[in-house]
This record gives sequence, C-alpha cells and structure tokens, in this order.
Amino acid sequence: MIKVEHLSKTLGEQKVLDDISFQVASGEIVAFLGPSGTGKTVLLKHLIGLLKPDCGSVMIDGKDITQISQKKQLEMRKDFGYLFQEGALYDFMNVFENIAFPLREHSSLSEEQICQRVREVLEMVDLHDVETKIPSELSGGMKKRVGLARAIVLGAKVLLCDEPTSGLDPIRSYDISNLIRQVVKKIGATTVITSHDVENSLRIADRIAILNEGHIEVMGTREDLLSCPRPFVKEFLKPSSVAL
Amino acid sequence: MNIFKNISNSIKALGDAVFFLGDILKVVFSGRVRWPLVLEQMYYQGVQSIVIVVLSSMASGVVLGLQGSITLQRFGAREFIAPLVGLSLLRELGPVFTAFIFSGKSGAGITAELGTMNTHEQIQATRVLGVDPVEFLVVPRFLACILVLPVLVIISEMIGMAGGYVVGVCHAQVPSAIYIRHTLQSIDFVDFFSGMIKTFFFSVIIAWICCYQGFFTTGGALGVGRYTTRAVAFSYIAVILSNALLTMIILTLWG
Repeated sequence: MIKVEHLSKTLGEQKVLDDISFQVASGEIVAFLGPSGTGKTVLLKHLIGLLKPDCGSVMIDGKDITQISQKKQLEMRKDFGYLFQEGALYDFMNVFENIAFPLREHSSLSEEQICQRVREVLEMVDLHDVETKIPSELSGGMKKRVGLARAIVLGAKVLLCDEPTSGLDPIRSYDISNLIRQVVKKIGATTVITSHDVENSLRIADRIAILNEGHIEVMGTREDLLSCPRPFVKEFLKPSSVAL
Repeated sequence: MNIFKNISNSIKALGDAVFFLGDILKVVFSGRVRWPLVLEQMYYQGVQSIVIVVLSSMASGVVLGLQGSITLQRFGAREFIAPLVGLSLLRELGPVFTAFIFSGKSGAGITAELGTMNTHEQIQATRVLGVDPVEFLVVPRFLACILVLPVLVIISEMIGMAGGYVVGVCHAQVPSAIYIRHTLQSIDFVDFFSGMIKTFFFSVIIAWICCYQGFFTTGGALGVGRYTTRAVAFSYIAVILSNALLTMIILTLWG
C-alpha cells in the first residue's frame, strides 16, 4: 500500500507539490491527471525515492522511504517497476539484454531461466521476435512495451508509469493503456499512472486524481470526477466527456 | 551581483565534483568494480585510439627531429638530436600530447555517452532498477581511462622516438648506432618515471572531468554538445596547469 502525507516540494522558485496527501490500496490502479507542469512526474519520482521531499512522508507498505539510506532505497527498488515516458532503454543493449538486466542484477536465476522469464514477459506485453533488436530499431509503442516488460520482469509489487501514452497515436494509446491494466491485474501490482490522456486514464484506472498547481483538485472514481462541480475539473475533462 | 552568483555556482559545482569523485573512489575501494565492463571500456578508449595516437606521435617525433637537426647543425652538434627527441618526448611531449589527444577523443566520448544516457533518463532508469549508476556506468569508464592512458603514452613515446630516429638517420645523417647509443645514454629511468607520474595525474583528471560533465549533463542534444565541449576544454586547461605544477615538483625533487 502507498500512503503519502503532506508532501511538499519546491524546485527553484516554484512550489511544485503543495501539501499532497493520498492513499493507494494494494492492487489498485490510480491515475494522476493534470496539465503539463503540474508536478505529476515530480510526484512519481517521490514515490520511488528519486527526489527527497521538503516535508511530508511517503510510506510504502508501512516504511517511510524518505527516511531510509540510499543503499536501502536501491534495495527497496527491486520491488518497484517504473515505466519511463520514452522507455529509458539502454542504447548499448538489445531488447533481450535490457529485459534480462534486472534479473541478472538481482536474481540468482540461471541463463536458461532468464531466457524463459524474458520470453514470458515479452509474451505478456504482446511482443514477438524483437529480442535481438536494439532500442533505436523500435517504434515508440514498442519501446513502451519493452519498458513495461523490463519494469515487471522482477515481479513488481508497485508499478509507476510516467505518461505511458505520450507521443503515441490514439490507437496505440488505447492498446498500451489496455495492456497496462491487463498486465497489472495479472501480476497484482499497486499502480500509479501519471498522464494527461483523460480518456484512457478514466477507462483503465480504479481511481483518478486531478492535479492542479501542485495540489490535488479532486480524487475519486470516474463517476466522482464526472460529477465534480469544480470549474477546473469540468474544464479539464471537457474534451473527453463527449467521447465518453 | 552576477559575478557573485557565478562564483557561488562555480564553488558549488566544484564541491559537487569532489563529492562525485568521492562516490567513485568509494565504489573502487569497496571492491565493487565490474571488470568485464572495464575491459570493454579499455577496448573502446584504448584500442580505438591507437591509430590517432600513432599518427600524431609519429608526426611530432618527425617535427621534433627536423627542427632539432636544423638548430643543432648550426652548432655542429647534430648527433644530439637523439637526446633532444628522447628527453622531450619522455618528460613532456609524450604525456601532454597524448593526454590532449585522449581527452579530445576518448574523454569527449565518455561525456557524450554519459550525457546522452542522462538526457534519455537511462541513468535514472539504472537507479530505479536498484543499481548504483556510478558503479555500473561511471567506474568502468573512469578506471579504463586510468589504465589505458599510460599504455597509450608509452606507445606514443616509442613511435615518436622512432620518428625522430628516421629523421636523425635519414635526414641529419647521424649514424644509426650513434643515434641509438646517444638515446640510451641520455635517458634515465627517472625521465621515464617522471613522465609516467604526470600521465597518472592526467588520466585521473581527464576521467574525473569527463565523467562528471557527462553524468550531470542537462538540456537535451544541445546540452550534450555543450557539456562535451566543456569537458574537453576543462581537461586541456587542467592538463596544462597540472603539467606546470608537476614539472616544478618533479624538477625540485629529481632535477
């Protein structure tokens, strides 16, 4: 379970996160929506300990990750999966090596077992015959799928997805969103997604929060959001409400 | 006001660089060195730099021989081309020239690689995957740099002396046996050793600057170019200044 309490962060002169508190239950998918520059990625980086808050706490399964040493944070991250916006795959490794990397680092599996596990997760993200390709040979959507495969290969308990549909066409966005929900429900990971893709987020998330100027404007189910009377929320959801 | 801001930023950057070096040394001395990656980097940094080092050191040996022969002939001392070429290369030109070439080629490569990784979030991905990026990405490059540069300097000195020999024997008509005897007589172990001490310091400086600049690159493709240029420029300046300082110390100690 993720529990964030009174989280604040200022970068330079700008207060990016302003007294944010929320909880994500085990196995739940929560999407954080908001316009660009509202602190979505900064929030995600706090959840995995890449950034230290000015004040507040981030509890993962009862442990405050803002208070533990860097070494323990590295250890803790073995239970996390993080899907980067552009995939963040290593240029100098092919697809197979990229996915096998966490297994080689953190497990005692034999090379044969690693091969089997890599094929298994590639199957899960619906990719075939790409093991020997290098990242520059992959399309944007394929990079995200490989990134997702790498994020879950160790069996992530917590999955964080940073703008998983950015830069993709509507069909690919729909596919990757479905895939995330499908994979997450299969492995039972607690998932936080940041996005400005309203339609797909409303479709796949169990709960949705809307961030505005560093604070949570509203958080709830799809129905809660659609019935929210706040002008900012109405305005933000407007383009998608027709499609819904 | 801007001057104070620049000074305080420079002091902060220097402090960050010192902490960064501390992180590198911590990994090295705790034995968390990934030797297969070091060997891979030694290949990229060393083997792929040999051609450029050989060509440039051959050219500097030839130029040194030609200029020396013209000057020494005026005093009827052309056979002293051998010690001139040998001592100049071992004490100064070999280490300094090779350090320049190395920082322009391999050093720039290190910064550009790490910088691109940083702008593409690969360094952050390493942290997220529970692996220390300094251990995985920086230390192999840093150590390869330190191990490879002395070898390149020795190659450069040998090739440079061969260039000087060709000019001395073919152009200045110094008999081959005399040229070789003068070379061997004039060179002491301390000449070679002092050059190697300098080389060690240069390699640490280049590795440190180039890894640091790459690891903290920001600003996308433009940033990679800017930080790479800065890494090479800082390396040149640091090599020149440290060479002056080390020469003073070495001459004071060993003459």
